[in-house]
Amino acid sequence: MTSTLGHTSVVLALLAAFCGVVCPIVAARARQERFLAFARYAIFTQFVLVTLAAGALIYGLIALDFSIKYVAFNTTRATPIYYRVTGLWGALEGSLMLWEWVLIIFSGITASLYRDRHRDTMPWVIMIFSIVSFFFLTVLAFVSNPFETVSPVPLDGRGLNPLLEDANMMTHPPLLYTGFVGLTVPYAFAMAALITGKLDEAWITTTRRWTIIAWFFLTVGNLVGAWWSYHVLGWGGYWAWDPVENAAFMPWLPATAFLHSIQVQERRRMLKVWNLSLIIIAFSLTIFGTFLTRSGILSSIHAFSSGPVGGFFLAFLSLILLGSFGLLAYRADLLKEQPELDSMVSRESAFLLNNIVLVSALFTIFLGTIFPLISEAVAGVQVSVGAPYFNSVTVPLFLFLVFLMGVGPMIAWRRASWDNLRRNFLWPAAGSLAFGVALFIWKVKEFLPLLGFTLLAFVVVTILYDTVLALRARKRIAGEGMVRGLVTLARRNQRRYGGLIVHLGVVLIVLGIAGSMTYSLEKEATLALKQELKIGNYSIQFEGLKGSRQPTHFRVEGAFRVLHNGSDEGILNPALKFFPTQQSPIGRAVHQSSLTEDIYLILSGFSEIDRNQATLKALVRPLVIWMWIGGFVIALGTVICIWPMKKTELTEP
Amino acid sequence: MKKNRRFLIGGIIILAALSYMIYGGMQEAIVYFVTPSELKANERSSADKFLRMGGMVVKGSLNKNLNTLTYRFDLTDGTATFPVYFKGVPPDLFTEGKGAVVEGRIGADGVFQATTIMAKHAEEYSPHADGKPPSKSFVPGQEAVAK
Repeated sequence: MTSTLGHTSVVLALLAAFCGVVCPIVAARARQERFLAFARYAIFTQFVLVTLAAGALIYGLIALDFSIKYVAFNTTRATPIYYRVTGLWGALEGSLMLWEWVLIIFSGITASLYRDRHRDTMPWVIMIFSIVSFFFLTVLAFVSNPFETVSPVPLDGRGLNPLLEDANMMTHPPLLYTGFVGLTVPYAFAMAALITGKLDEAWITTTRRWTIIAWFFLTVGNLVGAWWSYHVLGWGGYWAWDPVENAAFMPWLPATAFLHSIQVQERRRMLKVWNLSLIIIAFSLTIFGTFLTRSGILSSIHAFSSGPVGGFFLAFLSLILLGSFGLLAYRADLLKEQPELDSMVSRESAFLLNNIVLVSALFTIFLGTIFPLISEAVAGVQVSVGAPYFNSVTVPLFLFLVFLMGVGPMIAWRRASWDNLRRNFLWPAAGSLAFGVALFIWKVKEFLPLLGFTLLAFVVVTILYDTVLALRARKRIAGEGMVRGLVTLARRNQRRYGGLIVHLGVVLIVLGIAGSMTYSLEKEATLALKQELKIGNYSIQFEGLKGSRQPTHFRVEGAFRVLHNGSDEGILNPALKFFPTQQSPIGRAVHQSSLTEDIYLILSGFSEIDRNQATLKALVRPLVIWMWIGGFVIALGTVICIWPMKKTELTEP
Repeated sequence: MKKNRRFLIGGIIILAALSYMIYGGMQEAIVYFVTPSELKANERSSADKFLRMGGMVVKGSLNKNLNTLTYRFDLTDGTATFPVYFKGVPPDLFTEGKGAVVEGRIGADGVFQATTIMAKHAEEYSPHADGKPPSKSFVPGQEAVAK
């Protein structure tokens, strides 16, 4: 019953998507407003039907309708209700359903928000949305149908992958999908601009907020993924350069580049082709990411399963790339006139370098990710590209990017004079150099970490210095104090100050990464009762084991007293979870954070006979917590960037 | 056209630097994937190479010492077996009769000295109702020794 409702909704939505593709073409060709209205209705109809289908699947999961194969495979009677709901994105079919749902929500909002504006481009925007939706609905209807039934109906389901039973899994996939799908909005407007030939800055201005929102969700989605990996996977790391992590990270790079280079186009009408290319690449990478993860061609912890879905995604990807770049080539003559760069020392060129670095990083990560495929296809040799490749190639690039983060926002447009350079950078450069020297004398002797920390200081100091100068000016002009001045500055120029706060957030994330990459400690030992493991300034004492029955599994936890520099920091309980449906236990690592470092404990085994022996792995990870704090700072900056203000307040200072 | 040439030179320099970085990075990070029989056949030529070997842990071959955290076992692909030594903590899913992937080098004694073990993690993710073999999916194991 539920499955029939869901599947029927999907098929009907597919028909509506078809109308959504055809009607705009008629509307634009025949200048028939009526058809534009039809197209809009087609989007709203899809919205209702897809919401119905997703609702049906969620209902099936909550009500444990085991006649639906997807429910049977992803829940059990013992699964708590919130994990039944998150089962929606626990496997392939459901996550495609979620994707389509988010997409159609975005499309619906766009279609109703701009119903009276952009009359020329809107039909095409709706068409692009409908094409993407049509593709996902086709897959959902015919290839990986989440409403497929089983008979006989099993008495109990098989359950969600235990690793996914975690609060972060409730947020990580939806956040990431929102980021991916959000990129469809600027992409759709870009394509509409190409189709209509209205290649001025309108499409960029309209979609600017959307791009920022999509970027934000991509950033946070990746961060939460890293947090989940750190928190749940129990290996003490947060990023393994796993192909699927790369797939989720890669769209972030052109999206970030795009966010910066559109400012050059808005300001100087340069880089038109480049911006269009960036958004095409960013959008294609979201589809490519799904192809990579869902086709099963790469071995990975995230890879759900292989099946015919991969082929569909590959075909769709080719269509997007051919169509988009074909359009771009077709409009080449309209995109010719472009002002040239005035000087290599200017904000334009800082943005350009930022773009080059980001695209280079994208290229190297892309190459490393698909290299095993190329190698096997061309030479028949199975290889894997390890984390050292990605680290050694991207670390210098990202350090350069950090440097540009200090330079870009402060350097003058067009051509920076010596005066401008001296005013903005002399003190910050001197200050951060002094900081670097102090660090060297105190502790940091290796080149790359020293360079990294110094550059981070440089960014922070440029931002603070610039803000202090601006505050002084406020004080002179309006007699405003610090707090009031800050509020005025943020309100007068919300994009600039929001952006600077985002930069500070990025600085904190890089700080966490640099600290944990450089100064981590690891140690493991088998401990008898009351025995100690010493690591760094910590000593960890084994105090016993305890077993307990949980709703879905049996849990064995160890008690370990943590002493830091001799002072008692309490007991940590890393555990092993034994699920009846799994052959091996799932580890549950625990950690205790402080602003300077985390202590991270993993219980890797215990003696089954007398329970007075446990094998423990302990890690010390410095500064990791700043990554998560950085995420909140980025959120704050983003809110400041996109906070809607009345038109009158938006005057430039 | 002077400007164009400058951009061209800049572009070439960037590309060259990037290629150099990629090449260098690949040199140190690329890991070949072999089966026990392939390794047996090329034992001598693979002496110094960092490799990844995949196979089944032979039932009854696992010999572990929890006090020293050392593991000895044989990996097989059905035709040949290869002895493996590992010091550290293997992933939860690592056990006899199951698939495992080890990373490391052949030691002087002809035993594969693994620095990492990854356990095969197939069944939970994918309902293979269509009768296809389970996809290769691995859980990253824990590094034995911090470098």
